[in-house]
Amino acid sequence: MKFREIVDSPCGIRYLFDELELQSGYARKVLLDREMMTDASRIEAAYATLRQYYDLVVTDRRRVEDMRFRLQGLRDISGTLTGLADGAMLDEIEFFEIKHLAMLAESLQMGADMDKVIAILDPDGLKIGTFYLYDSYSVELRRLRDAVESDPEDAQLQEDLANEEDRLKKMLSDKLRPYAPTLRQTLQALAELDISLAQAVQMHAEGLVIPSLGTGAVITGMFHPGVRAALKAKGREFQQVDFAFRLGVPATVIGANMGGKTVALKTLCMLQYLCQFGFALPAEAAVMTPFDDIRFCIGDEQDEKTGLSSFAAEMQRIDKALEAVERGGRVLLLVDEPARTTNPVEGTALVAALLERLADKANLALVMTTHYTVEHAGECWRVRGLLPGTKGRKMDYRLVRTASHEVPHEALNIARELGIDAQWIELADTIMKKRYE
Amino acid sequence: MPFVGEILKHRSVSIVGLSKNAGKTECLNYIIKRLPLDYFTVAVTSIGIDGETTDQVTGTAKPEITVREGMFFATSEKHFRQKRPLSELYDVGDEDTALGRVVTAKALQEGKVLLSGPSGAEALKRWMRSLKDFGIDLVLVDGALSRLSTASPAVSEAMVLSTGAAVSANIRDLVSKTAYVVELIRLPLYTGPDPELRVSSFSSLDAAALKGNRAIEVEGALTDRLLQLVKNGLGEGEIDLVVGDFTKVFCSQELYRAFIRRGGRISVRMKSQLLAVCVNPVAPNGIVLDSDILCRELSQKIGLPVYDIVKNDYEI
Repeated sequence: MKFREIVDSPCGIRYLFDELELQSGYARKVLLDREMMTDASRIEAAYATLRQYYDLVVTDRRRVEDMRFRLQGLRDISGTLTGLADGAMLDEIEFFEIKHLAMLAESLQMGADMDKVIAILDPDGLKIGTFYLYDSYSVELRRLRDAVESDPEDAQLQEDLANEEDRLKKMLSDKLRPYAPTLRQTLQALAELDISLAQAVQMHAEGLVIPSLGTGAVITGMFHPGVRAALKAKGREFQQVDFAFRLGVPATVIGANMGGKTVALKTLCMLQYLCQFGFALPAEAAVMTPFDDIRFCIGDEQDEKTGLSSFAAEMQRIDKALEAVERGGRVLLLVDEPARTTNPVEGTALVAALLERLADKANLALVMTTHYTVEHAGECWRVRGLLPGTKGRKMDYRLVRTASHEVPHEALNIARELGIDAQWIELADTIMKKRYE
Repeated sequence: MPFVGEILKHRSVSIVGLSKNAGKTECLNYIIKRLPLDYFTVAVTSIGIDGETTDQVTGTAKPEITVREGMFFATSEKHFRQKRPLSELYDVGDEDTALGRVVTAKALQEGKVLLSGPSGAEALKRWMRSLKDFGIDLVLVDGALSRLSTASPAVSEAMVLSTGAAVSANIRDLVSKTAYVVELIRLPLYTGPDPELRVSSFSSLDAAALKGNRAIEVEGALTDRLLQLVKNGLGEGEIDLVVGDFTKVFCSQELYRAFIRRGGRISVRMKSQLLAVCVNPVAPNGIVLDSDILCRELSQKIGLPVYDIVKNDYEI
């Protein structure tokens, strides 16, 4: 799974990607093409690097900004390097690109043998980043250039000059060819440096944390950066939320409408992706565990475009996730209010059955939000809910573990607080009582 | 050496032709030939695909730009590989155009180049910013036909306009068309309070909506349709239409005049500086206008000196 494939996930990870201040278009491409890490040791290595750059951001911001300024000059020259490795004769533009890369790398103390590459393309030892076929490459070149300048109409001289230039280009290409692999590694390393520095700066600016890795997820004070920014624009604050989940124990999240269940689920999904792509996390502290497969089942506008009803799209999405669970490998399955668009009788049955179907899967971590009361052997979390006496305006979004799986009957209270037509709401209350008491 | 001294007072000047073959390239070559390069570092580029060797519309030969030793120039990879004097590469951009990336180089000897620089006003601005480390004092931009946006004061500080027989074979008509563009270039700067009413070319307007407004902010282009709506709704008294700059005005001369007669006025947020007008009395179809009459009539009409740089070949 590449970052490109999940950047527009409905979890909203794009916000952090858009806010990431990469200095070069090439780093952006490299990041989008990055494969998701599923191996704990690789994630830890990535975080160790990020930690180093974060420390540098804190202790020596000027140096970081200097490095980032230099990285603005990073260009994608992979095409040129492929040509070089394949034996092509390069031209001035391509020599310039290679010299530019080598000098950039050297100024950042990156890459091996960059001094040797520079020496080939800087015969006069000028130490400047420009390039042309220097006169000093051959006596013949210089002689022919002088001759052409004094007699510009002589076609033979021009041809001789072009031939000499070609001979030199071939000679330079041959000299550079052994360095093609190290140049390619250096190009990649510079893009990675750009990404790491941008991540470290973002970590500092947004107040993100590097998690530790464990067998389950324990997250303290998580927040959704995109939602937080939108709230901040309206002068409101995002209430940070704690949550935990682990393999083999399904978890449901219940609670009032407008209680932030979906946002919590999106945040969990984003955190998981961020972790497995080596980003710091929007939380106060976190223990995370890597998964081989992350499935986020939530209705989105794509459903309408494909012409499927929201119910059909949702069922198919969950069906695919079930297949993934059966295939083995560690799966994180996040489901937002399954079967909410069908009638509550069948809906409740579908949700209860889904939990039962997945009850004994040791390779699965399941987190599901729901409005249905469903008993199951796993854990149940509840949104604290509406604060009384606040006319429906103040919600406590925190999640707490609860023994009862009974969904809170808060819809009517919320409607009352909102000042909705009293006759209607009281009638609903009477019907409720008749049915359940 | 008319108007070259004026050019040197600015950091960026665009040369814009009123139509194809209006003499823009001769004008640019004229300026380049007379620049005091001992004291000034100059970069030249073009916008869009105006550097083609033959004119894509009429098929007439299109002269190349001659760069002098020590001048910087920016062109596409394709044209850089095709033709250039010995030049030192300074930068290869990372934005792709139809002709490849934009290459910035310094000419180490005099020679001809095909210019095809950044493809649009925004890309041009980015390129200009990228020059900051090269110590460049003046940027000349060869502005393409239908890309009047190059001349926007948001991109370049000042401009030189070239016009000629290719615009119209009739001197009176040519003078009238050129004078209209000059009038737009010289639209006054808006100094009043920020208008309450903001409209765009898609707005629907009637007399009631306009009532009580002394000034209207136009977002984006001022089109014939929009100007007509404002004109129709115009009651007693004056009204000021405020546009970004003159390149946003896309109105016919007739309608513009009618609007002015009704008490309307158009002003700009950013004003352009017109340094000179050059004429080319020769059209690609062979028509040759009387250069002296053309220069005199146009100069009288716009109150600015007008130059036929080819005929007069002013001293260097």
